[in-house]
Amino acid sequence: MSIISIKNLSKTYNPDTIPVHALRGVDLTIDAGEFTAIVGPSGSGKTTLLNMIGGIDSPTTGEVIIDRQNITALSAGELIRFRRDHIGFVFQDYSLLPVLTARENVEFVMQLQGKAQSECDQRVDELLTAVGLRERDNERPGKLSGGQQQRVAVARALAPKPRFVLADEPTANLDSRSTSDLLDIMNRLNQDEGITFIFSTHDQRVIDRARRVVVVEDGVIKEDTVVA
Amino acid sequence: MILKLSWRNVWRNKLRSLVIIIAVAFGIAAAVFAGALTNGLIDQKMRIAIESQTAHIQMHNSAFQENMDIRHSLPDADFFSEQFAGRDDIKSWSGRIVSTAMLNTANGTTGMKLLGIEPEIEKKVSAVSEMIIDGAYFEGARRNPIVISQRAATKLQVRLRSKIVITMQDIDGEIVGAAFRVVGIFKTPSAMFDEGHAFVKQSDMAKLLNSDKIHEVAILLKDIDRVPETVAELRESAPENVEVLAFTEVLPELAAINDSGWISNLILLIIILLALAFGIINTMLMAIFERIREIGVLMAVGMQKLRVFSMITIETIFLAMIGGVIGMIIGDIILRIVSRNGIDLSAFAEGMAEFGVETIVYPSIDTKFYLLVTLMVVLTAIFSSMFPAIKALRLKPNEAVRHK
Repeated sequence: MSIISIKNLSKTYNPDTIPVHALRGVDLTIDAGEFTAIVGPSGSGKTTLLNMIGGIDSPTTGEVIIDRQNITALSAGELIRFRRDHIGFVFQDYSLLPVLTARENVEFVMQLQGKAQSECDQRVDELLTAVGLRERDNERPGKLSGGQQQRVAVARALAPKPRFVLADEPTANLDSRSTSDLLDIMNRLNQDEGITFIFSTHDQRVIDRARRVVVVEDGVIKEDTVVA
Repeated sequence: MILKLSWRNVWRNKLRSLVIIIAVAFGIAAAVFAGALTNGLIDQKMRIAIESQTAHIQMHNSAFQENMDIRHSLPDADFFSEQFAGRDDIKSWSGRIVSTAMLNTANGTTGMKLLGIEPEIEKKVSAVSEMIIDGAYFEGARRNPIVISQRAATKLQVRLRSKIVITMQDIDGEIVGAAFRVVGIFKTPSAMFDEGHAFVKQSDMAKLLNSDKIHEVAILLKDIDRVPETVAELRESAPENVEVLAFTEVLPELAAINDSGWISNLILLIIILLALAFGIINTMLMAIFERIREIGVLMAVGMQKLRVFSMITIETIFLAMIGGVIGMIIGDIILRIVSRNGIDLSAFAEGMAEFGVETIVYPSIDTKFYLLVTLMVVLTAIFSSMFPAIKALRLKPNEAVRHK
């Protein structure tokens, strides 16, 4: 069953001066439970595509439909609420709040949702255990390694029980060991709990673990391969 | 969570935050001190006016104040004794015969308000008896003693035991006169009062005026805060032709000075806070520019713009309030130290006397001023947070998350 349906998506930056066509009429469908890598060279449009799916950028034309909801038609406020409740984000540089502990970072979005503290505590314990950082929950990000910070970021992305997780170059700043650990965790969450992961990456280690690879070049999808 | 986040954000760059906190603290401490000094001057001015001149409440014949015609008198003292009997808010009261008079000596002449008083009763209402610098308060002369101020003595070129001839209109409008002998010379902090008032015994003045009717009742209360209620109650029970005035109505300039003191304190506070506001805006703008990416991420993961706005506003309020509270504490400590011995402003003695205050000023401040400072600091913080917060709200998540 598809949870993301993209129809004729285009994005042109600077349309009135020097137009840059980041996406040109992209059609894409992603089903629940996928572990998909969107790959391509720098400037190919993969991050723009990810931003459109995540609702943090708006298309010039086309639609992004998530669970039968056309998010391109939502107001700015509705879109923020939609992202909070339905989409998990993992960023290249972890983007944890440095003044909050690992635990507080993970429960932050749940707090924004207005969840009860007891529910937050239980969920955070589960997630930090799942990413192997239960013992370090009171450390601030500055005390954690890059790999550990990215695992906290994954836990944060999963905290509000999103429909899917978007990860923008999640391994770009990690060494091989941390990359491997992170991918193991994501893979396990995908396999065991059916969480949908969509990566933008040009890291071969991620591509090798993906079960679907979508190649974007010059703003169009060149290849869409399901790995057996 | 927003409160926790805002609080911790304040301490992300400790040095930068401390610089602005210290600036706010010193600004507020200065405002507290300046405000306390103004209050001290005004309190003293009021205290001196009450003690030496007006008491807390005065009663007159409604027509008397207009031209001080002595025919417009009050009922007998017995009437007021009955009126005030059983009132536990009144500490003491004194009936006075009041008239304008000319004081003449061989060396000078001056016009004054002459008060005929019963010294032992007047002592309980007025502090002039405690401000005698030469001689005594109606002691040492059996017939027609007079107590005048040092300024009047200088002007008339008289000293103790000198004779002064007083002329005035009696109850029938005839010019009458008598010789009085100086038994005491007083000096209050108010030059204006000293230049315009002299005291004689009520019986002597009654004899001269051919009338023992009193024109003024001065009332001292146990508690100055009770003045409005007591005035209202006395008005209820007073005869139709008797007016009851609070000291601020007797000397309207006292109320005006009190109000202008508040206004000048407020203006000073606004000027100080306005200057500090630019420092706060600068600090917060730097903080926001450093956190563009982080704010983008917050918005991306679902933080509503109102919450981003609140976070920045609360952060600014924390920053300003820490400085504000420290400033108020520093100001209060300085006041406590200075208030023990007062501030010696004798270098400005002449001006202080014209204003009607002593040269040692005891700064004082009340809770209301601290509440005002707190409110103004919070308002300044909210005002200062607007520009940085609006900047943050204008960020687009897709651009902000890519910000380097």
